[in-house]
Amino acid sequence: MTGSDTTLVVETERLTKIYGNSHIALNDVTLTIEPGCVLGLLGPNGAGKTTFLRLVLGLHRPTAGRVSVFGKPMTPNAALLRRRIGYIPTNPQFPRGMTPITYLDYIGRLFGLSRDVRKPRLAALVRAVDLLGHSSADVSQFSPGMVSRLAVAASLINEPDLLIWDEPTHGLDIEARRSMLELIKSLSHVKTLILSSHNLSDVDEVCNHAAVLSQGQLIFSGTLQELKGRIRKNHYEMDLEGDQKGVTKAVSQIKSVADVKQVTLRQRRLELVLNEQCNNSGVLSQIFNTLSDNRITLVGLRTVGQQTEQAYLDLVEKEEQRGFARIFQPAEAA
Amino acid sequence: MENPALEVHSRYSRFLPYLAVLSTDLRQTFRNWVYRLWIVATILVAIGFLLYRFGLHQEAGMVRPASVHSSELFRGIALGSLALIVVLTVSAVASERGTLADSVLSRGISRYQYFMAKLHSRAIVIVLTFAVMSSFMLVAFHFLLGEDLSLAGVTWAVLTISCLLIAVVSVGVAMGAITNSSVVGIAVLWIAMYGLGILMSLLPQTFPSPEKVIARLPFVLRGEYELNSLGEWVLGSLFVAFVASTIGLIAFARRDV
Repeated sequence: MTGSDTTLVVETERLTKIYGNSHIALNDVTLTIEPGCVLGLLGPNGAGKTTFLRLVLGLHRPTAGRVSVFGKPMTPNAALLRRRIGYIPTNPQFPRGMTPITYLDYIGRLFGLSRDVRKPRLAALVRAVDLLGHSSADVSQFSPGMVSRLAVAASLINEPDLLIWDEPTHGLDIEARRSMLELIKSLSHVKTLILSSHNLSDVDEVCNHAAVLSQGQLIFSGTLQELKGRIRKNHYEMDLEGDQKGVTKAVSQIKSVADVKQVTLRQRRLELVLNEQCNNSGVLSQIFNTLSDNRITLVGLRTVGQQTEQAYLDLVEKEEQRGFARIFQPAEAA
Repeated sequence: MENPALEVHSRYSRFLPYLAVLSTDLRQTFRNWVYRLWIVATILVAIGFLLYRFGLHQEAGMVRPASVHSSELFRGIALGSLALIVVLTVSAVASERGTLADSVLSRGISRYQYFMAKLHSRAIVIVLTFAVMSSFMLVAFHFLLGEDLSLAGVTWAVLTISCLLIAVVSVGVAMGAITNSSVVGIAVLWIAMYGLGILMSLLPQTFPSPEKVIARLPFVLRGEYELNSLGEWVLGSLFVAFVASTIGLIAFARRDV
């Protein structure tokens, strides 16, 4: 995502996946993920998020392009590489007739962990994800929340360097979701994470990087700040309080301030668009002075279009509007 | 952001993933309703056949050697069992495709280990079950219907059929690994096996066929067999098993799950 000498955790180059010559799931995706990155993988349904994750895990083989994980090519037989990855699928399923303990023991053995390593670790994980009271219950009878907690434990049993979680908050209640986000925040200090999510507020809260897929194509990759600032820079909303005449007068004065591109007043809400290249603090200072001179109280000030959700929606919409132009600039990723 | 440790961990056991899938699949196969149906049906058929023949033997005085009864029963059970064995083997890999396979194949196991574990598990279950059931049947026949069975002949007969079963298991598991749907795999294999069996039985006497092996069973059970001929069947079956499993292994290692 940015140039660096450190070993990249994930590197994809012109990654393309076409299923049975009938469905293009992923198209020419070049992406790098550095150690310590918490990447939010965004995109509408069918954008290719899960396909991308499955290619990174070696569950699918690319039709073209390549995937490297920890500097080595990922293949269906790259078991050593997968031992350093913790994965949660969208809808985790477990074999029948297993308890949390036997399931985690099974997963531990799949990672090749010796008994001395996996037994204490699974005990700690069962306790950590609060399944101690259900440790003898059949996992196939678990509620969605318990399934998610067990899936988290399974993804951590090998102490992975890279976590790939496909919609980890899917189907969780508010409390469980909050707990999951806190866990992700804690893990983000020591692990590299790729989170696929429909919930943009989750991504906003825990991720420091974002990649946006639309119809199998990577339309953005960069920091979350870049995503937020990309679409509407220097766009503000102010909630005002004061005499209506004073407000009208102030607005007319603000319109004449240099670098103010657009001013819209809707009742007591003032929407301001400044020139993108201007020194916004200087212009805002002039605007505050104007408001003060007219005895207008500033009740609220916020940036517009700086929310991840809005930036994301604008990005996808803009990409769709480009039509045939996409042929000439297939990768507009930052 | 700190750079997390990127060294390859060295605390892993190489064969543990294989053993994990093998032991889990063994347990699941024993619980599988197809497997249980196979056992129950075979036992009921064997007991019914044995009682019927024993009744004729005792009441009507119709004395036929145990080797003839055993081979008749073997023939019936083999043909009937094949249908269920195909279901049991094709579903080994095919039925787990999708999210369940995600949970396993996304961990530290290679496709080779997974496929071999599934193949070995199904082969162990089917061959052991057949060997145990046929041993009990032969002992019962031996004592109830005439004592013309030879230990060496019985051993060779069970060994030969076991090798044929290993070939069937290998083809079944390979088919399950190649096809996208277990239903398609089962249907294709049923048609191929029964069709091939019928076609081979129509070939001239000099060509080998499973039908001819079963027809020779009464002689083999009495100890009247040619070691070379049986050896060829054993080696031929193992060769088919090897080729099928190799094809399945390569195909599975290259496909999406």
